[in-house]
Formats: sequence, C-alpha cells, structure tokens
Amino acid sequence: MGALDRLSALGNQLSGATSSAGGRAKILEKNADDIVVTACLRTAITKGGKGQFKDTYAADLMAGALRGIIERSGINPALVEDICVGTVLAPGGGATEMRAATLVAGFPESVSVRTLNRQCSSGLQACVDVANQIGAGMIEIGIGAGVESMSTQYGPGAVSEFSDLLESHPEAANCKVPMGVLTEAMARDRNISRASQDAFAAASFQKAVKAQAAGLFRDEIMPLKVKFEDPKTGETKEIVVDRDDGIRDGVTAESLGKIRAAFAKDGSVHAGNASQVSDGAAAVLLMKRSTAERLGQTIIGKYVAASIVGVKPLLMGIGPWKAIPKVFELTGLTKDDVDVFEINEAFASQCLWCANELGIPQEKINPKGGAIAFGHPLGCTGARQVSTLLYELKRTGKQVGVTSMCVGTGMGMAAVWVAE
Amino acid sequence: MASMLEFRTPGFNPYAVKYSPYYDSRLAVAASANYGIVGNGRLFCLGLSAAGIQIEKTFDTNDALYDLAWSEINENQLVVACGDGSLKLFDLAVDQFPVMNFHEHKRETFSVAWNPITKDAFISSSWDGTVKIWSPARTASLKTLPIGCCTYSTAFSPTNPHIISAVSSDSHLRIFDLRTPVSAKYHLATVIPVHAPPAGPTLPRLADGQTFAGAMPAEILTHDWNKYNDTVIATGGVDRVIRTFDIRNPQGGPLALLVGHDYAVRRVAWSPHASDILISASYDMTVRVWTDGSTMAPPPSPIVNNNNTMIRTGAQLGLMNRHTEFATGVDWCLFGLGGWVASVGWDERVLLWDAHSLLRR
Repeated sequence: MGALDRLSALGNQLSGATSSAGGRAKILEKNADDIVVTACLRTAITKGGKGQFKDTYAADLMAGALRGIIERSGINPALVEDICVGTVLAPGGGATEMRAATLVAGFPESVSVRTLNRQCSSGLQACVDVANQIGAGMIEIGIGAGVESMSTQYGPGAVSEFSDLLESHPEAANCKVPMGVLTEAMARDRNISRASQDAFAAASFQKAVKAQAAGLFRDEIMPLKVKFEDPKTGETKEIVVDRDDGIRDGVTAESLGKIRAAFAKDGSVHAGNASQVSDGAAAVLLMKRSTAERLGQTIIGKYVAASIVGVKPLLMGIGPWKAIPKVFELTGLTKDDVDVFEINEAFASQCLWCANELGIPQEKINPKGGAIAFGHPLGCTGARQVSTLLYELKRTGKQVGVTSMCVGTGMGMAAVWVAE
Repeated sequence: MASMLEFRTPGFNPYAVKYSPYYDSRLAVAASANYGIVGNGRLFCLGLSAAGIQIEKTFDTNDALYDLAWSEINENQLVVACGDGSLKLFDLAVDQFPVMNFHEHKRETFSVAWNPITKDAFISSSWDGTVKIWSPARTASLKTLPIGCCTYSTAFSPTNPHIISAVSSDSHLRIFDLRTPVSAKYHLATVIPVHAPPAGPTLPRLADGQTFAGAMPAEILTHDWNKYNDTVIATGGVDRVIRTFDIRNPQGGPLALLVGHDYAVRRVAWSPHASDILISASYDMTVRVWTDGSTMAPPPSPIVNNNNTMIRTGAQLGLMNRHTEFATGVDWCLFGLGGWVASVGWDERVLLWDAHSLLRR
C-alpha cells in the first residue's frame, strides 16, 4: 500500500539486502523520506496550584518551549511551516493565544499555528499530525507540541452540560463519568489490588528521584524564567524553573498504603497512585531526513508510526492495551523488539493492568518514572514523552521506543519512535 | 528461436502469466501500472488465433496486480492477487467488475493458486505474513495459516489437496498439512530452512568435490512443486540460485543447485511434460530452461569418503534473452507438443515461444 515500501522491497530483492523482512530491522532502516526529530524538549513540570509555574499562563509556557526549539536546533524559524499545539483545557481551544505565543517565541507571521484537543493524547496527536503533514508533502518542516496550565485552567468548567439526548444514550452518558470514579470501578472489576498499585506508584517516584538526582532530565528540560508570587510573603519575584517539583523522595509502597482512598471508602485509587495535576509544555521539531541533512540538523530520532483506538468509555484506562498491539500490527514489531515503553501513568491501576496484559516487563516501562511522580499536564504529556523517551534511548544506547497513553472518554493512542 | 509470438501491454508492466487449464489458446496476464509501485492494475485475457495474440477481455483494478490463477472448475473464471490486499474473481462473461471480492489480507497479496485436485478452493499469500484458504463461493476465508513474515508465494501440492506450501522472506519453505490437527502449529507439518547447511555429522559435497556449507539467508520469491515427483519442490529468490528439496528430508539440504542467474529469480515453474525440466524468470531479464540432473547419470565420485552425500548440480539447457526488462512471469502450456511457454516482463511484453528451440543440440 505504501509505494515506498514496495520500492524498497524491490530494491532489496535486487541488492540482496535482507532487511525488507519487516519488523525491527525494517524500522531501523534510514531512508531519505523518514520523518525525523531534530529537536525535542520540555519545560519542567510543576505542581498545579502551588508549583513554580502556578502564575504562568499556558501560552507563556508554550512560548518558552518553542523558543527553546529554535535555540537548540539552530533552525531558521522562517523555515518552519506549521505548528500544532495540543491543549485540553484552554477556552476556545487556545487557538488565539497559541498563535500569539509562536510570534513571541520568535517565529515570523508566515508560520501557521493550530491547536487540537484529543484529551490526554493531544501532545502526541499534534506530533503525529505534523509528521503526517510532512509525509503527505503538505509541509516540509513542522513542530508538534503540547501544553497545559492546570493551575490557571483546570476546573469544573472543563465539560459543558450534557443534553437530554446524550443522557438518554447509556454509553454516551458514560463519557462524562469522572476519571477517578471509573478508574476505581475498573480497578475493582479487573482485580488490581491496592498493594500492587501502591508498589507501582512508589516505583515511579523512586525511579524519578534517582533520575533527577543523576541529572537524567537535564537534556530534555528547557529552563524557563517566570514570575512567581510567594504564597507566604505575597512578594512576586522572577525565578528560573529547571526541575520537576512534584518528585518526592522517600515514597514507598508502605507510605502510600496509609493514604485514604479518594473515590470510595473501600477503594484503592488515591492521590499517591494517580497522576499529579501539573503545568508544563513540550515541543518536537519534525522534518524529512533529506531536509534535516540538507539543513545540517542533528537527527535525534525518527517517527515510525502511530495508532489510535476506541474502547468503552468506562474502561478508558485500557486504551494502551488496545493501541499498542495496533501500532505493532502497523509496523510488524513485537513487544520484544521494543527497548523502552513510555506509557502514561494516568493511574497506577490502568498502567499496571495494561503492562501486565501485554506482558511488558517492569524494567522496560517508564525507566525515569512517570506522571505519578512528576505530573500529567494533559495536553503536554504526549509531546513530553517524546523527549523523555528519545533521550533515555540515546543515553542507554538503545533504539526502539513506544509512547502510549489512555485517553478520557475511552480511547488509546500509541506511537513508535527510533532513537538515532 | 524462429517463431515467437508477441503481445504488448502498453502502460502496464506484467507480473504474472498463466495458461488456461481448459484451452490451449487462452492465457491471462496480471499487470500493473508503474511497475506495480503505485497505480492501477490490469488483467489481460488473451486468445491465440491465426491473426496472433488478441485481447479477449481486460479488467481494471484500483491497485497493482501481482499474480493470477485460473479457476479449475469454471473455464471462464480467474482470480487475481491485488496490491490492496484483496483477491478478485473475474468472469469472462461479466464485464468490468469482479464477480467476487475477497478482502482480508492487510497488505499486498502476492500470490494465488487454485486447488488442482478438489478444485473447490484457492489459496493466497501476502505481505501481511499469512496464507489464506478461500472458497470461491464465500467472501470470508476458510482458514488462515500464519507465516509471520512477507510470504511471496504459496502453492498446493499437485497430487494431494490437503498439502499447502509457502515460501517467505525469512528464507524458509513451509509445508502445511490440513489433515493434521490445528494444535498450536496451525497445520504446520514441515519447515525447510532453504539456506541452512544440511544437518548431520558431515557436510555433503558438490559435484566438483567442494563441500557444501549452506548460504546466507535470503528472501525466497517463488517456488513450485514437481509435477511427477510429489515430494520435490524448487525454490528461487534473491540469492539467484534455484534449489530443489525433498520435503521428506527437511534438514537434509537441497537435492540440486541450479546456478546461473545474475539477479534474483522471480518465478520458477516445473514442466508438466518432463520430470526433470524447469523454467525460471529473473530480474536479470533472462528466462532459462534447466534440468535438475535427476535423470542424468551421476558423475564419477572424486572423493573416497562415502559418508558424504552429494548435491547435484543441475544443468542449464537454454537461455531466452529477448526480454529487455525484468522477466517476472513464466508458465508452461499444458497442451501441444510439450515445449510451449509464455513469458512476461516489465518491458510490457508477453512472449510465447517453444522451449525446444532453446535446447542445445
């Protein structure tokens, strides 16, 4: 179906190369029309409402991350043709302020901008959309990004009232069941014990503490200078934010075991084994390999393929369980071909369940911790995972990675990336 | 090479040619625009008449065509393997559209073959790593056999309707026996590692006295069952060598090696008229006629060690070099004096000629 696949298969039949066999060897090939990443970064991720970005608007975070992309890649900003920003909570989709943010970041008015919202996978969807635009020849260079300021935009207004029509359809009405409630029910139905959730969550904290202490996030984090109002003194000062402030040392399964369940008396889900409410932004610069080579850009990795699936709204947590096999089918990979999985930890229960069902070994999942330890700024996460993944693969000398997440209202998304 | 009939397929590059099993004057060609890389496909049904080769019917498809098989139960029907993963059954009496469409493969369908014994089923293989068994009367497949990697060619045993073979990009020839229980192996009966050295304490030797140590794994693009000896299969592929195997001895290495093509072998076909003759089409633009050496006297043994078995070296009997692009398809006519073959290539030509005219005298 892909003309290029057919061409490369024929080429290999003539040259005697065996790589067209598919799977891992196939995706490790380097072809001129690969979509590659030449810069990817994120801001620090800070606690919603009280973290260091609590007084910083989403657009300011995004402008900072985009400026970082220009600085790190050294690309002429006028060559970028389109920017897509995933953002979930912004009123009006954030369209106006993101356009403004790109101008602030240093892009000329010739660079177009749009926002999109696929809930928790918005950042990944933005990257995938831009990669597809490049692949289809619509643009040559683009940026996929994501941002969320849950401090300034998280609240009850996020979902509008359901009409009688929506309420009359049982499965449709399920779409507005709060995450915590449905996750609690799913954990009970699927027999995911409180102890196993707490152990998974504690491991996330411990991995993140270790990674932060070893400076493993330094490559991916773009330090940002912002205004911060000290809640004690009321004094506003300028601070440089360059580390995730949600990562807590000394968290153990036992300490998490003492926290009271949040959504049911005898429940298992609580603040310590669910993702944190956070602020942050991330961006990924994408172009064809041929373009990167022409411009002398350093290639960090390549985008291979992505999948999107729907699941039952009440079982939204199982999204990665369905999305990851689908992206394997698209690429001919198996789970053993993948070196690192970045699966968003919306809740310890769903992430753990997906990993167990798919048979993914613990050491391959979120090696630097996940959203439980440092937070899940909704629109940002999908783009954030790209830099977390690619720098981890590079550091460990590994190659193939998968990013995936569950999506509210019952969806799942996954993408395959290769570090180079 | 005096008499050679020619037909042109302008704008379409043929991938396969098959003679009708019913008529000596009818054949069909599966062809694709732009070398099958992107664009439409066209199926040509051709008739031989006093005026040469003439079109009886053409059918267009939305994606490339890579193979075809004539129905064994209806002389007017044939099925094609399409680049969009579908198989389409066309009827010469029905204009324009297929009478049945079978779409389950998730990637390009590369080969199709009709059951020659029971005549009630056909099989297909695909880039999606599966072989599927179909009834011409049902749109859903009867069975799916997993291969796991791009499967370029699949075929029925010519003598046993339950036995299916397949070759794939992982350098293996697989034999499925549908009489075995499904079990965990999905009817898989035998796996022959085509390029591996033979198992056993000593390596066999070649006719020139050298020991034979196998070869680098390479994609296998084509294979065919011998029509007289129901345990012998010939394979061909990217490593340019044609090999024959006895499926009763899967670890025993090849029976014979046929060396000569300069590029990948795209298609092999055993003669329906003689047990030792086969023909091959290659990306080196030639079509070659071979004997596998099975009817020749073995050469005198130059080595004393009797433990060493010997691998035959077949002989090339003739070479047809009239194609000016990759030769992709070749088929024997079942009728007549026993030498007529049809060959097709990316030079947009169908050539009909007598293999006897190539033979060295």
